Amino acid sequence: MADIGFWDLAFGFTILAIPLFVFIYYKVKLVNDLLVSVIRMIAQLFLVAVYLEWIFEMNNALINSLWLVIMVIVGAGTTVYRVKLNWKVFLIPFIIAGLISITIIDLFFIGLVIRLDYFFDARYLIPISGMILGNSMNHNIVGLTAYFDGLSKSKELYYFILTNSGSRKQAVRPYIQEAIRKGLNPMLANMSVVGLISLPGMMTGQILGGATPVTAIKYQIMIMVAILAGCTLILILSILYSNFLVFDSYGNIKNIRSINKNNN
Amino acid sequence: MISAKNISVSYNNTNVIQNLSFDIGLGDHACFFGPSGRGKSSLLKMLQGYLVPSTGYVKIKDMELNPVNIKNVRSLMAYIPQNINLPTDNGSELLKMMDASKRVEKVEYFINRLGMSLEMIESRFDEISGGQKQRIVIALCLSLDKEIVLFDEPTSSLDSNSIKKLLDVIKEDMKDKTVISASHNSEWINSASKKIYI
Repeated sequence: MADIGFWDLAFGFTILAIPLFVFIYYKVKLVNDLLVSVIRMIAQLFLVAVYLEWIFEMNNALINSLWLVIMVIVGAGTTVYRVKLNWKVFLIPFIIAGLISITIIDLFFIGLVIRLDYFFDARYLIPISGMILGNSMNHNIVGLTAYFDGLSKSKELYYFILTNSGSRKQAVRPYIQEAIRKGLNPMLANMSVVGLISLPGMMTGQILGGATPVTAIKYQIMIMVAILAGCTLILILSILYSNFLVFDSYGNIKNIRSINKNNN
Repeated sequence: MISAKNISVSYNNTNVIQNLSFDIGLGDHACFFGPSGRGKSSLLKMLQGYLVPSTGYVKIKDMELNPVNIKNVRSLMAYIPQNINLPTDNGSELLKMMDASKRVEKVEYFINRLGMSLEMIESRFDEISGGQKQRIVIALCLSLDKEIVLFDEPTSSLDSNSIKKLLDVIKEDMKDKTVISASHNSEWINSASKKIYI
């Protein structure tokens, strides 16, 4: 496979002038975020190259599981930060939602579909879990933002349904529906055009790495199904766990933003 | 049926109700009235458990208003809010959200009594008038057949003809219910069997 030289890699970054120009021109306050994200990406990926080699060499169940837990914690932390929630209140619930989800999805796909002899094989467990968690985090952020924004901005509907139906489960249902729609619709749209207007990264990587297109496609199909299931599970578990925290004993919606200020 | 003793209620850090007591019996049509900002709507919120009195207590059918009883208390109530601009497409969707799709016959009865046809519940809320929307929301809530019906400014979008029809519904169809409202409208206040000045 053709390598990319470091100078060529550096030259590649000049294309970021396009998003930078758009952000500055339209005065969207994302320039700092972009710079931080790019620097983090470079540092993280080069670190990945170093530690993945070590992790792959060790191929130890405990180390690989620990790495999975770290990925879940970082994903949960990023979600809390992006949805603008309180760390102390929401970090643990989101970590638990992530751990439960990734355990179920990995057990199913790695244990039952691929049927690896060694379940904790780093070459499978880490990249597959990483893809599931990375994609889930993005969709989870969209879904949870919709959920908490809905509860903060459209309280009247919640109280209307709560009194008239007598059920909190019924009262939060429209907000959960909206969160699922907003969180998962882009993924369904992406699935429906995959191969036509987008060639997914995993498949492309496998083909570049020498796998046959048929094998690459089978893995791609599997991973997309796993991502959809993982996203749905993480989103719904995050919401259901959050529900224990955002309502008081009368079912009133707590002031989510002021909880933020008070605890941060 | 409903008994409040020496209650004080705060809303947005302002003490809106101080040391108020009242009793409302089964079949009463009680109306809270008085100038704006005196806490009429807050009282309706308090009866649903959305505001907790800082002093005194409230009992509804011998159940004290507290976290243990709140689910049972709310199961007795239907609530028609002042703000009917709920983020839903139409009455039919709202009925589903209330888990009351099976009550269409009741909805039809009340919507007819309020001078409209059942088809109106399929009309988009952003394409009908405020008065039509308010009557649809009222019909949906009355169809729930709850023992206690709370109206917050029920006449805010209604013309005099629609107010008269709604008062007829309360008089004829809700004799065995307890109706509690908050209103500015003199015709509505005068029709109440119990007037509570706030």
